[in-house]
Parts: sequence; structure tokens; C-alpha cells
Amino acid sequence: MAPPAQSQRSSSPSQPSGKGEVSDLKSQLRQLAGSRAPGADDSKRELFKKVISYMTIGIDVSSVFGEMVMCSATSDIVLKKMCYLYVGNYAKGNPDLALLTINFLQRDCKDEDPMIRGLALRSLCSLRVANLVEYLVGPLGSGLKDSNSYVRTVAVIGVLKLYHISASTCVDADFPATLKHLMLNDSDTQVVANCLSALQEIWSSGTTTSEEASRERETLLSKPVVYYFLNRIKEFSEWAQCIVLELAAKYVPSDNSEIFDIMNLLEDRLQHANGAVVLATIKVFLHLTLSMTDVHQQVYERIKAPLLTLVSSGSPEQSYAVLSHLHLLVMRAPFIFSSDYKHFYCQYNEPSYVKKLKLEMLTAVANESNTYEIVTELCEYAANVDIPIARESIRAVGKIALQQYDVNAIVDRLLQFLEMEKDYVTAEALVLVKDLLRKYPQWSHDCIAVVGNISSKNVQEPKAKAALIWMLGEYSQDMQDAPYILESLIENWDDEHSAEVRLHLLTAVMKCFFKRPPETQRALGAALAAGLADFHQDVHDRALFYYRLLQYNVTVAERVVNPPKQAVSVFADTQSSEIKDRIFDEFNSLSVVYQKPSYMFTDKEHRGPFEFSDELGNLSIGAESSDTVVPGHRVEANDKDLLLSTAEKEETRGPINNGVYSAPSYDSSLVSLSASQSQPDVAISSPTIPGHAPQSSLAIDDLLGLGVPAAAAPVPSPPPLKLNSKAVLDPSTFQQKWRQLPISLSQEYTVSPQGVGALTTPQALLRHMQTHSIHCIASGGQSPNFKFFFFAQKAEESSSFLIECIINTSSAKAQTKIKADDQSASQAFSSLFQTALSKFGVL
Amino acid sequence: MLQCIFLLSDSGEVMLEKQFSGHRVDRSICAWFWEHAISQGDSSKLQPVIASPTHYLFQILREGITFLACTQVEMPPLMAVEFLCRVADVLSDYLGGLNEDLIKDNFIIVYELLDEMIDNGFPLTTEPNILREMIAPPNIVSKVLSVVTGNSSNVSDTLPSATASCVPWRTTDPKYANNEVYVDLVEEMDAIINRDGVLVKCEIYGEVQVNSHLSGLPDLTLSFKNPSILGDVRFHPCVRFRPWESHQILSFVPPDGQFKLMSYRVRKLKSTPLYVKPQLTSDAGTCRITLLVGIRNDPGKTIDSITVQFQLPPCILSADLSSNYGTVNILSNKMCCWSIGRIPKDKTPSMSGTLVLESGLERLQVFPTFQVGFRIMAVALSGLQIDKLDLKTIPARFYKGFRALTSAGEFEIRS
Repeated sequence: MAPPAQSQRSSSPSQPSGKGEVSDLKSQLRQLAGSRAPGADDSKRELFKKVISYMTIGIDVSSVFGEMVMCSATSDIVLKKMCYLYVGNYAKGNPDLALLTINFLQRDCKDEDPMIRGLALRSLCSLRVANLVEYLVGPLGSGLKDSNSYVRTVAVIGVLKLYHISASTCVDADFPATLKHLMLNDSDTQVVANCLSALQEIWSSGTTTSEEASRERETLLSKPVVYYFLNRIKEFSEWAQCIVLELAAKYVPSDNSEIFDIMNLLEDRLQHANGAVVLATIKVFLHLTLSMTDVHQQVYERIKAPLLTLVSSGSPEQSYAVLSHLHLLVMRAPFIFSSDYKHFYCQYNEPSYVKKLKLEMLTAVANESNTYEIVTELCEYAANVDIPIARESIRAVGKIALQQYDVNAIVDRLLQFLEMEKDYVTAEALVLVKDLLRKYPQWSHDCIAVVGNISSKNVQEPKAKAALIWMLGEYSQDMQDAPYILESLIENWDDEHSAEVRLHLLTAVMKCFFKRPPETQRALGAALAAGLADFHQDVHDRALFYYRLLQYNVTVAERVVNPPKQAVSVFADTQSSEIKDRIFDEFNSLSVVYQKPSYMFTDKEHRGPFEFSDELGNLSIGAESSDTVVPGHRVEANDKDLLLSTAEKEETRGPINNGVYSAPSYDSSLVSLSASQSQPDVAISSPTIPGHAPQSSLAIDDLLGLGVPAAAAPVPSPPPLKLNSKAVLDPSTFQQKWRQLPISLSQEYTVSPQGVGALTTPQALLRHMQTHSIHCIASGGQSPNFKFFFFAQKAEESSSFLIECIINTSSAKAQTKIKADDQSASQAFSSLFQTALSKFGVL
Repeated sequence: MLQCIFLLSDSGEVMLEKQFSGHRVDRSICAWFWEHAISQGDSSKLQPVIASPTHYLFQILREGITFLACTQVEMPPLMAVEFLCRVADVLSDYLGGLNEDLIKDNFIIVYELLDEMIDNGFPLTTEPNILREMIAPPNIVSKVLSVVTGNSSNVSDTLPSATASCVPWRTTDPKYANNEVYVDLVEEMDAIINRDGVLVKCEIYGEVQVNSHLSGLPDLTLSFKNPSILGDVRFHPCVRFRPWESHQILSFVPPDGQFKLMSYRVRKLKSTPLYVKPQLTSDAGTCRITLLVGIRNDPGKTIDSITVQFQLPPCILSADLSSNYGTVNILSNKMCCWSIGRIPKDKTPSMSGTLVLESGLERLQVFPTFQVGFRIMAVALSGLQIDKLDLKTIPARFYKGFRALTSAGEFEIRS
């Protein structure tokens, strides 16, 4: 795949017009090959330069390989370098031709000039052609013994390259042992450092016999070896220091005095100009002191200043990488950073991903002494040009309010937001006030007074509208015109597009009804009627549920719908502490930047040379098999909103947290889930409902004329094709098959409006399809475009079907591509798939 | 470790590709990256670390050139980002700048440099002095030389001896007729002034830059009059740690040429040299803006190149701005620049005008942030002062010089 911009590139003089030029070059090179004329080297140089520039812009010039090799007999070092570069690029594709180069490279390995010896050796090892390894052993052996350190440095890395081409050859030649000897005895630090990194890679790769490798790994981490490195650390280059520090972080000292010795030795590394060294040192400090609580805290104090400096100096890219680490530490120990809160103030010019991190840190470090300043600062962002950040900062104010004891001042600020007359500010503030009231019901009077003044017409966002409606229902006794506002909202039922809002509306009217029956009765009737006629499954179910509940007994209904609530003391955290600890263990790695531990985003062994495939472009592959579809998807979701604030994630779970019964089923487990927030006496109601449900379900079915209820009966699969309900396929096999198999069928279906309505999240469809024995391996996308990869297996044989399905909810179309091991069955499968899909949301 | 590095031009074209490991990284990753960059809008706001479906990408942007590195294994992200920054620094040092043409004209040198800077994904050396000895920069001298001698090799025949020396940053034995060393204090002031005119945050990030041309192996000591004001400090590897620890003295054997000896931070400054007072009053669909700029705290030297920049909020349809001093420009992206230069003796520069709001809006709801720029020569606003600079063995001709410069970093006033 060529870069798209290549076509737009302005034509430069060196741009070749096509194949003709390459063959032209070929003949020119051939003429020069044997020439000993005085100017030959210069003309060769021009030609080489041209060849390499073609290679650089992606034109295949492998056809001149032979000529290039012929011309390589020269003493000009630049010519040699260009030739090495060329050969290294094309040898892998032309193993036979590569053999030609061996000769001159081997000769160069014995050159007088150490620079040429080194370069030749490097190129020789970079050929990476498996059947040429026999020619490598000799030069590498002598390279490792070379008198010049430059050659030895190259040779050490050469051993590693050889190891990756052919591990057995490398081990047979006893190179690892030689490297170990060099590592402990060589006078040049670069050689030593390269030995260390090469040995680490060799012994930690899977192909070595595990027992020996693990013994060797232990030796690397033994006291004498680690001390040998640490004592010489200042002699190493800055990059080598990083490798040594990485090693030291894995070392487990035997006692505390050792820990202090190491920290004293490394303390000045914290002031190194290279940020990578500083961060690696910090990692060593943190890991060494993990078990000593008080010292660990002192370490935080000590590393604070270097980290803050690193953030404020350097390029934006560097400071982002540091900031991610700082973020991790701040989240772990916010109190230590509470006096440095001003460092987390956002600058106007900063990219929004940096601002988001800073906002989270500001939220975390807020305590009694600095809350006022922090909230003042956050309020300034609310008028920011960058609207997502403005929203984020309002949420941050809310989070601070929820974690503080003294919320007086903050509540006032939040209420001021409500009066700012900006749609998004009002919307965010409403959601926050709702959460605040759930935690501090004592503030209801002040808040309700302000909320009551907000015209519901000015609130458009579903979340905010739902929050407003919740408050109307919850505090209807304190709000004069609550029933009338609700009534007017119900009158516009059909204009309300969000199911969430309609659900809340139903519940709010119910609550209002229990408190002020005469005023609300009419509205309740209208709401239930509208709800019963609603095409959205959840809304319909809830309306019906309320209706029957009221019919059964009004007092029971009140206990179910509007039980006395206890204030929420702590809102659920989004990331488990275990995951946070895992990330901390992987300090100074990508995990920190991605805010999730590496097992969630990397394979056990790094992926082999697998081609970049466009089809899987925007999707992540589920971690395990189909059993873990949901966790697999969660990783995916996290990936997207890597920097999404916790507040936002919390909201997505809003309906469950709200204590409003939003789930459509009469599942008693759900009731008990909500019961954790309500008074114990709700427990009385839960046995009533299941006891009631079976009786009424038949009636419902009759009423709606639907036949057999969904969950009750297994899906009747058509006789010719039966699917294995417990099919398993691992992601890599899936990928492989997807590449290999041709598309046997591609179709477009129309999705029913109910289906579209139910597809608010991909998970809903995944669960549905699983009941039809069609499993999802990866999914992604956001409304209106969802993309799924499904698979299914035949019940009797292990023949599988792979499906790519793209659903566009706005056009209600589903495009599918089916690939099958058994092509003849794909038509049957397709109809099965279509049936399954069409039932989605209907049942 | 890194698997490959790509250099992309500002149109997304792959200018250069350097693979380090057996697992070749396909060029299609660049296409993916470029699409991703375009979908994110402003490429300068792109995250430096990105997860693509197949690789983890590190990217930095310098002068329109994207340095893109790929890896598939876990590694310290800062190491990769820092390394890319060094590559960019070394290249711009070698080529005398960075742009598409320079890289395309000198791609052989770039390949040579990358070859020596990193092998098999491990960074080797990024010390400019050592690289310079291995690969001669494409300067005029070498070009002239090549014409005269007919030998156009830009690679030296000898190996750098410094690789084995105990001061790896220093060329072993340079000789100068005039021995000179210059020390510059370069400071940047970052400040935030909030809506009520209160100085919320004010600190200085400073660097001690040294340009040394000294023969032999000089041993320098530099001391400050008031080292106690320094917050956190970071040193070039040449600085010895102990003397600083005990006496706050910088003792070092300098690299040859220009380098950054130390960087520091001075926190909690109490005042800024300038004041900028914005005033916005809006009413009935228009907004009246006035902006006053003046000297709050005279630093003793002229404040130069004063500019005030701000982005007009998107809800503003048109703006009519004028000033009593300097020039006001409104760029097409609604960025306003008021360049003042120096503050005149006889009057206070002010800018005023009206902004017309979008129809339907009564009052301005999103307020602009004003970014101020200035330069003050010969003053280090942090108050840091150099006490003395000593050379252990003073050569015959020895000259030392000191300079200072303060400029505005992120200096912003909210309204």
C-alpha cells in the first residue's frame, strides 16, 4: 500500500518516470563496474545515490542487485556505505544474489580500517538470510576479539542478529558465553552495554532451553553482576545507563542497607539532562522501596522536583510522556503533590490530551487547603474556547465536590454554572447537581431553588435532561410546578428521541404521583399510555411494569419505585486498584501512557512479521476466545477514550448507579443490586415481583401476541444447518482464516427499527447473537456505524464461518461479508444469520 | 526496542526509512499514521505515543517533518521520544536546519548518522561531538576541500578516539589560537494571570548555555552568587556531582562548542515585568474590548519585541480593532496579533475596538486568552547571577564572556 500523499508530491528532478530509468541505471552501472578510470568513483557515487534515492521513495530497484555488487569493489568508504545500505535492504528478498555479496563483505571484515571492518560486519549481520548464517560465524568470532572497540560493539549486536536468524547456530558457536565474558571484562562501556542488552534479549526469548535461560537470567540479576554495572554507571553512555537502570529495577536487594547504598549511588542520576535516565532512576527508587512505607514516601518527595522540571522543560512530546508518569504517581499519592497544584494548571496552548491529564491531577490533589484555588482555576476553564475541556473542567469541579467534606463554596459555584446560560455548561452542571444531591441530600433546598428556574426547553442533551427529570421526580414535593413541567414534557413524548430520557420520565412521573397524586394523575395516565405505545423495548416494558404494579397494589408500587434512599457515600471507581498496581509495576513503560497494564494491549510474545491488514484496521481483537467477548470489548472501549476522565466513564454507567430501575427484566439479582442503595425494606418487594412475574408473563404474551418469550426457549435452528453453541476460535486463527478465505457471500440486509433502537451499545447485539450460536470475536465503532466480526462453527464438524458485519443505525442497513471453510453451506448460514439478526430487538 | 524509523514530509510522503530488526515494518503503517493524523485535525496536537493496530508508534514533529518510530514490544516511552528528539537535534545541527529539501538532498548523510546512532533498535550514541568525528557534516569547507582535492569523501578515515576516552563528550585534543568561553543565561518566564488580574502562577525555566573553544582538557568551575534560589536543576553529563552537592559549584570538563550545561527552575516569583489589562463589556450583540499594556516592574533594561496575541472566539462574526501604538493584524484563522515592540515613553499603548457577535447572542460567553511575548536582553529575571568562572590552568590567551536573556514563555492573561 503506497502512502496516499505520494501521488500529490511535486515532481522532483530525481524522480524516475518508470521502469526505463531503472534499466538505464543498470547498464550504466555495468559499464562502470570494471572501469579503473580516474573519475569512476565519482560517477559511481552519483549512480549509487540515484539508486538509493529510488529505493527510499519506494521504487523497486532490486533488479540492479548484481551490478551494485560488481561495483562494490572500491576503496571509497561512502560508496561502500551506500552499497551496504542497498544490500541490506534487498538481500532478504534475493537470497541467491545475497550470496554474491558475502565475498566482498567478508573481505571488508578483514580491512585495515576498523571503521570499514565494523561497517562490513554490521551489514553482513543485517542481511538476515537464513541460509547464509554459516558465513557469519567466522567474522563474528574474530569481530568479538577485535582490538578495536568499535568493531567489538558492532559484533556484539551482530551476535544478537544472528541469534534471531538462527538461534541454534548462535548457541553452537558458544557466542552467549563469549558475550558474557566480554560483558564482565571488556574495557569499553559501549561493548559492555551492548552485551547486556543482547544477553537480556537472548535469554528472555522463548527459544532457548528454559532451564538454562532462567539460570542465566538469574545470574544477570545476581548481586555481583548488578553491582558491577552500578559501580560503573557513570562511564556508560546515557542510553546504556537506561538499560543498566532497567536491570537494577529488577534486582531484589537482600537487606535495607543495600537499598540505601543503591539509592545513594544513583541519586545524582535524577539530575541527568536526559529525561529517559531520570525516569529509569525513578523507577529503580520506587521499586526498591515498595516494601518500606515511610521511605517510599520520602522517595516521592525526592522525585517530585525532577519530575516537575521534566514536565516544564523539553518538547511537548517529552513532557507528555513524563506527564503520564506523573499522573500515575499523583493518582497513587495525591497528598504528596497537593502543594504543587499550580503545576497542573492548564496553559492555553497545550493540546487537549495534556489538559485532560492535568484536570484529572487537579481533581486528585484537591484537599481542604487548596480546594478554593483549584476550583477558582477550574471555573475559569469553564469559559474556555475549547468546549470539551470546558465540560471536563465542570465535571472536575463536581468530582472535587463529591470528594470533599466542605462543599459550601463549591455548591455555590456549581449553581453559578447553571446561571451561565451556556447550553453545555448548564447540561454538565445539571448532571453534577444530580450526583451531588445523591451524596448530600441536605443541599436539596439550595439546589432545587436554582434548578427550578431552569426551563426544560433550554436543556437538550439527553444526559442533562434525564438528570433534570430525575430531580423533578425526586424533589417534586419541594418544587411547586414539578407536576406541570413533567406534564408538558409528556405532551412532547414523541419528540423525545432518547430512550434514556423517556425511561426517566416514566419513573419521575411515578415518583411525583406518589407525592402529589391529584395533580399528577392525568400526567401519569398520559405517560403510561405513551410508554405502552413506545417502540423502544425498555420503555415499553417499564411502562407495562409500572402499570401492572399500580394495578396490583399502589403501596407496594411506591415501595418499589420510590423507596427512601440513603445518601451515596462513595461512587464506584472506574479502574480497579489491582489494575492500578499492575500499571505501577510497569512504571517507565508504555502501560503508563496507555493507562492500562501491558497484558491488556500486548501479546505474550511480540507479534511476528504479520502483515498490516486494513480490514482489521480500526478494531482490536478480543483477548481470548469468545467467552471473553465482553472484557475483550472493554479493552477496546478503553482504547478509544484512553484519556477519558473517570467522571465520564462513571456517567456511562449512570443508569445503574442511579438507583432508578432501568433494566428491562424482572431479574431479582438486579433488584438486590439496587437494594444496596435503598433501604433494606425493599427486600420485601423483591420476592413479590418474581412471584408475580410468571403469572403475568403469559398475559403479556397474549396481550402482545408474540408467542414464545425470548429467554424461555432455545432458538429453533433450521434442520439443515446446526451450529455449535460452544464454538471456540482464537483471534490469530481468525485473522489467518480471514486473510486466506475468499468472500463466499456478501449481502445487505435491512435492520428492523427495533433492532436499531436496541443497538445502543455493541454488547447488546453480541449477547443476542450468542444465543444463536454466533460468536463475536471483535467489535467496534460508535453510533451510527458499528462493525462486528463474528464466527460460528458447524455442530458436527469443525468447519467454521467468518462474518464481517457493518451496521449503520442511521440508514438501518447491515452489510455482511461471509467467508466459510465449507463454501456450499454459506447460503444456508447466511439465511440463519439474517434470521438471527432480524430477531434482534424484536423479541 | 525500536524496529524502524520513518521520516515523513509535511504532506505525509515517506522521505526516509530505516529498519533495525529482522521484522520489517511495512510502509503501510505510515499511511495508517497519516490517515490517523488527518482525522485528528491539527497534526501538532497529535499524541506522541499512538497505538496502531499492529505497532506502537512514537512520533515527534519538527519543522513540518514527522519522525515516526515503530515498536511491537514494551519499552520506556520516554526513551523513544527522547531519542527521536535527539535525532532531530543532530540532523538539524548537521544539515543546518530541517526541511524537506535538506533531508532529500542529504539522505545519505542521514542514513549514515542513523546507522551510528542506533543499532538493532538500541540507541548507541547521540553525542554530536562523537558523531562529528565519524561523519563529517556537509559544510562549505568540506565541499571546497572535495573540489580542490578531488576526494569527495565526507567520512573521516580515523575512528573517534573519544569513544574510548573517559570524557566521551569531548574531542580529545582540540587546539585553538584564541581560547574563549562564553556563558549565557537564557530564561523563559511562564505566567498565568487570571480574570481578576491576580498572578496565579509565575515561574522561570532557565538554561545555562556554554560555548567553549578551549585547547586541551580544560577544567572549569562556575559559581553563582545566589544558588539558593534555584529550584530543581538538571546537568549535562559533564558536571561533577559532588562539588554541587557540597558547595553549589559547577565543576566540569566542557564539550567542545555549544552545549547546555544546566537547566533550572525558579518558582514562585512575585511579579512580572509587564502588565496587560483586558476589559471586555458586551451588550446587545456587540462586545467592546480595550487592552492596556504597560511596565509594571522595570527590569532596568529595555523590554523588546512586545506582542499580544489572542484567538477570537468562534462566535464572533467580525472585529474592528485599532491601537494607539504598534500594529494590529487579524489573521484568517481569527488570530489577532498586536505587535507593540518597545513601550514608548510618552504614552501607554492601548488597543480598542468592537467585536460583532453571532446573531442571537446577546453577550460574549467564551472569553479569549491573551498570550504575551517579550524579550529582555542582558537581564535574567529570576535574579540568578554568575559569580565567577575559573579555569584550572589558564592558557596564554583566554577570554570569557557572560550574557543573559529573558523572554516570555507561556505568558498568558485570561479574561
